[in-house]
Amino acid sequence: MSVNAWIVVGDQPAIGNLITVARSLGGPVGAVVAGPRSVAETVAASGVDKVVWCGAPDDVPAEASAPAVAETVAADPPRVLLAGRNPGERVLLGAAAARLKAAVLTGARTVSIDGDDVIVVNAVFGDIAEETVAVSGPVALLLDGGSVPPPGSTIAPIEEATATPLGLKVIETRTSGFDEVDLNSAHRVIGVGRGLKAKEDLALIDALAEAIGAEVACSRPVAEGLNWMGKDRYIGSSGAHIAPQLYLAIGISGQLQHMVGVHGAETIVAINSDPNAAVFTQTDYGLVGDLYQLVPAITAALK
Amino acid sequence: MRIVLAYKWTRDPEEATVRPDGTVDWSRAKPGLSTYDPVAIELARHLAEAAGAELIGVTAGGKGVAAPIASKAALSRGLDRVVIVEDESLAEAGRSELAAVLAEVVRHIGDVDLIVTGDSSVDVAAKMVPTVLAGELGWPAVAEVTAVSGQAGALRVERAIPGGVQVLEVSGPAVLAASADAAVPRVPGMKEVLAAAKKPVELLDLAALKVPAASAVMTVTGRSRPERKARKGQLIDTTDPAAAAAELVTALREDGAL
Repeated sequence: MSVNAWIVVGDQPAIGNLITVARSLGGPVGAVVAGPRSVAETVAASGVDKVVWCGAPDDVPAEASAPAVAETVAADPPRVLLAGRNPGERVLLGAAAARLKAAVLTGARTVSIDGDDVIVVNAVFGDIAEETVAVSGPVALLLDGGSVPPPGSTIAPIEEATATPLGLKVIETRTSGFDEVDLNSAHRVIGVGRGLKAKEDLALIDALAEAIGAEVACSRPVAEGLNWMGKDRYIGSSGAHIAPQLYLAIGISGQLQHMVGVHGAETIVAINSDPNAAVFTQTDYGLVGDLYQLVPAITAALK
Repeated sequence: MRIVLAYKWTRDPEEATVRPDGTVDWSRAKPGLSTYDPVAIELARHLAEAAGAELIGVTAGGKGVAAPIASKAALSRGLDRVVIVEDESLAEAGRSELAAVLAEVVRHIGDVDLIVTGDSSVDVAAKMVPTVLAGELGWPAVAEVTAVSGQAGALRVERAIPGGVQVLEVSGPAVLAASADAAVPRVPGMKEVLAAAKKPVELLDLAALKVPAASAVMTVTGRSRPERKARKGQLIDTTDPAAAAAELVTALREDGAL
């Protein structure tokens, strides 16, 4: 049996993984786009069968088109709805799921069809366990979107859906001053936790990162709270999940919520002054000691 | 004017263990407010005070969510009253089911102008209940909200976007999911804890809410404990930092990690 799927798209056409999953189900794949027209055009060339664009004026955020997205999918109800993990797409998927009274799963590792059921192997509770779930009706899945798919040879037609947008308007956009990063593409990543005493001390970490060609990331409180880095740099159950060649956890205690984001790393190194830190039970190499001595020593040893 | 704050009384997976058959053992996990919910409560409290609004906490879940310790934990942080649906069938409820129950609770309360929630719960971390709730009500939702000002009906909402912050004007009722740094939560003192015991707690019967049925049934057909990469667990002696650094660099080069 094959099932039809809708992909829900917001401001970014980074849906390569969603197309792969939708195609694996064997049925027609539609995409409903609430972002700019240019996103709908990229999606139309990416190998989906049809595109519906819920266009709205430039100063209206994608979320405002949630009712149009929900009505679009309800007019041709899918068994599987897919969206990436951006906040805007979460909102659009939520609206569509509510309209279809669909089940919602956010930890899908595999999606397949068995008879009349959609079978999802789903990670639960911050990835500590997995459940195999048989879903008898429509299911909405929040997944890693993947990269922007390369343009294919066929271009799907773009229909336009109009609906009154919800009462949201962008009145200002400010840059944080933090560089954007794609941690998933980094081969080496250094994660910094609250063991670092001051923001200025990030210079020590940056020097080591430069020496090994790593991106610098952090635990949640360093990005949300201390505000030392952009939010796209925090790793953990509600942040980035990465699988680099090497992950160095510096001044990180090793709580579950952080470590689930790095389980896929090939090699894990931890530096922490507390010999009882949980991080040492989950590492390949552990160094108990003062990061202010050890980090410069490692940087020096690389030269 | 009424502001609803949806919170969760749950347990931290950090304190859970997973048995070899994949079932989760929560027996050592202490229930509490979901880690970042106090941030959402604080944010909502400021809004309620600025607008002279009533701040109503709502929650739905399995056995324990209506226990006095749970309602007092929420009330002592600044809610005026709470409305709770406790039903064991909700202990294993999915995101859309919980959102549908919360939507009915909001309709039951009536005249609600704004709903504030945390962005993510400590146990499930799906970040979907606020967005499905908004969908159920036909309201706009904004996630990762970092600051809010103004009055319900004409709010100025800041939210995190990649590389910065976007400021939105929100007209009409809305669901706002607060990021973990949206406010600094207060620690309730003895006065707040004592006052919490006297605030109204309304218990709603799940059956009486007449929540529309979901069109999908989820059946768990298998459980497992995910396999993790085996780690070496090798401790490097750091008495001499330079020697430790050299040993680490050599080991990482041999492993092909550098």
